[in-house]
Amino acid sequence: MSVQIHNYDVVIVGAGLAGLAAARELQRAGKQVAVLTKLHPLRSHSGAAQGGVNAALSEDDDIELHMFDTVKGSDYLADQDAVELMCSKAPETIRWIANAGAAFSRKEDGTIAQRPFGGQSKPRACYAKDRTGLTLLQTIYEQCERENVTFFDEWYVADIVYEDGVVKGAVAYDIRNLEPAIFAAKAVMFATGGYARSFKISSNAHANTGDGLSIVARHGLPLEDMEFVQFHPTGLAGSGILISEAARGEGGRLYNSKGERFMEKYAPEKMELAPRDVVSRAITKEILEGRGVGPNRDAVAIDLTHLGEKIIMERLPELRDLAITFLGQDMIKEPIHIAATAHYSMGGIPVDIDGHVKKSPKEIVRGFYAAGECACVSVHGANRLGANSLLEALFFGRHVGKHIVEDLEAGVFDEPSVSEEDANTMLEEIAFCMNNNGTERVPQLRKELQESMTANAGVFRTEETMLKQREILKELRTRYKNIRIDDKSKIFNTDLQEAIEFGHMLDYSTFIVEGAIARKESRGAHFREDYQKRDDEKFLKHTFATMNEDGSINIEYGDVTLGKFEPQERKY
Amino acid sequence: MSEPKPRKLKINILRYDPHVVGDEPHIDTFEIEEAPGMTLFIVLNDIREHHDASLKFDFVCRAGICGSCGMLINGKPGLACSTLTSKLPEEINLAPLPFFELIGDLSVYNGKWMRGMNERLETWIHHKEKELRSINRIEEPMDPDLAEEIYELDRCIECGCCVAGCGTIQMNENFVGAVGLNKIARYKLDPRDERTDADYYELIGDENGVFGCMTLLGCEDVCPKKLPLQSKIAYLRRQMVKTGLNENVTKCNCLQHEEKMPEH
Repeated sequence: MSVQIHNYDVVIVGAGLAGLAAARELQRAGKQVAVLTKLHPLRSHSGAAQGGVNAALSEDDDIELHMFDTVKGSDYLADQDAVELMCSKAPETIRWIANAGAAFSRKEDGTIAQRPFGGQSKPRACYAKDRTGLTLLQTIYEQCERENVTFFDEWYVADIVYEDGVVKGAVAYDIRNLEPAIFAAKAVMFATGGYARSFKISSNAHANTGDGLSIVARHGLPLEDMEFVQFHPTGLAGSGILISEAARGEGGRLYNSKGERFMEKYAPEKMELAPRDVVSRAITKEILEGRGVGPNRDAVAIDLTHLGEKIIMERLPELRDLAITFLGQDMIKEPIHIAATAHYSMGGIPVDIDGHVKKSPKEIVRGFYAAGECACVSVHGANRLGANSLLEALFFGRHVGKHIVEDLEAGVFDEPSVSEEDANTMLEEIAFCMNNNGTERVPQLRKELQESMTANAGVFRTEETMLKQREILKELRTRYKNIRIDDKSKIFNTDLQEAIEFGHMLDYSTFIVEGAIARKESRGAHFREDYQKRDDEKFLKHTFATMNEDGSINIEYGDVTLGKFEPQERKY
Repeated sequence: MSEPKPRKLKINILRYDPHVVGDEPHIDTFEIEEAPGMTLFIVLNDIREHHDASLKFDFVCRAGICGSCGMLINGKPGLACSTLTSKLPEEINLAPLPFFELIGDLSVYNGKWMRGMNERLETWIHHKEKELRSINRIEEPMDPDLAEEIYELDRCIECGCCVAGCGTIQMNENFVGAVGLNKIARYKLDPRDERTDADYYELIGDENGVFGCMTLLGCEDVCPKKLPLQSKIAYLRRQMVKTGLNENVTKCNCLQHEEKMPEH
């Protein structure tokens, strides 16, 4: 099979907010840039974000307060220099995208409207009703179209060319016909999104298989803080489809089967507006202790009826539609059933504040960048606050794009030299999936992975459940070697793609579990029933994990960049 | 009281892979036991996982947000992921969206058509200066009702259902479709866009644009986002007629239209 070789200055993998924001900067600077996505850009998961994007815009808010809320929300694991950069640039980022056409809702005086969100001291989430992500994604995509950015839609990136500490390109195939190509580039940027799809109940799109992370890990590069997976409190019962935090922000009240407003017990001051980790644990505990609602008693109720039809239709129309469609429950008339759902990945590819991928806590990889959910800067630490993810993707996407321009202009890169052989790993992976004549089916393995991750490495974790999960992952890894796929066609072969994606899910799930076993404390979204206290002495540290050939994991720790906010007990 | 017995759904899928020499369009039928809360997304995955792994269809978000899973559901365009089987009869016919390039089975390449349309209609905010400046200034105020009106039209997810449900486009493949006209309506409302009516006339003031629409309004009937396509197309048409009459715009160079151009 001959391998096409394309040459670009920069190749961006992923066409969500972060990837597109970077692409626009690069194109405007006159660089040759290609965006590779396994979807069409508008199908990217950024578009599914609902509730808002944070910025201390109003006069009675300030940037330092946004920083403090973010750091406290992170359970002090966020790097405070990165938080400061993002929060201080938030207002101009919002005004920039508003100027570009984002359809933000407005207040009576015509300024951008803001709503309260969990863990925020002020109403700070700028929103476009309950479809904020969609308008941001559309706006930035349109601006990329305007700049004539080159897109490769429905290309699956399966590998990078990485030699001697330098990334020289991306290796991919065209999903429509399985033709392989190498995209040689002076710089490669990953904006490949999150990894919550390894859980059974998840808010994530089908496409969020975290491929970018394990591609990095397979080259022996580290992943950071992978054990921190955010469980969003309000996923629709059964499916986990997201009901935005706007539902709590606008005044939703949570009740158990006894009709108790149970947040009184868990966060007496902030109640429903406590951060996501706190509320998710409360909901899960109520369910585990038998106070759930619904036919399977696997949910609690969120009541919005007191808001009345007018406010619900004005501010939460899409959420209402979702609940009607998928649950048959109309939030205007009755409480709807929700439960915690795996939602967001705090961990990811370690990067410095300008998006350079790190080889170790102190060294960077040349020619390699990451931004958005796949990256760990870390602005979210152990728990992300609602409406900070769109901000991160938009701000850092653009910021990293500008830095790549600077690095290109400073001439720090050599002309990339690649050869057809650089595609061999991908071609072998494809050949394995296509030709392996085993007895295991990928959908079955994936089901077992997702169910066991939710059961053993979910909202509540213990040594016992996670050691069990370690064994399950080992077993799944062995069984994965014995798969067989049925579709042997070269045209739009989703059977093949899902087999490759499952390999990625297995790899990064191992990082989640090993990071969680090693972290013998509770911090943010990582809650150990056997170590319920935060332990700053031992674990005010970032996890840097690397994978060996046999799939085993090495863990070391790196320092957290502290700043003006001293770690204190986190209460809401 | 015992639970009613679940229905056996009969799913008929129109299948065809244009890339396979000798393949002919044909119907494959699958029987699936209905489960509570089942959507067509779940049905199709069930078929692919347990019956036929080679079935091609698109899906990403599974929540009716991303617009990738448009298909003909019992003859009507709709999103598979937000269609509950309980709302459908036992026998369900699925076919790919017509008009778009067929990848195979239920999968079409609507993104390619959408990109072409976006580029043709320049569906982005036009500023005089290309740089989006003055980022440190307070944003330009906007009336909340106007913001809401823009938002309403901005909700389009480019799923292609309106194009598939459009009679005009079946006869004139250069027609921009309701999706295109909706976008122009959206930018025309937006004070941040500096294009004039004459500029819009250049883009849509002909039979490939707003004057091509035969007002069958299949688009509005099938739009999964329930966009107000009918009123927006009517509004645009009135505006464009006005522009055509009042301004010295000559969109069409053919003799027939030149004669009909009003005198100035």
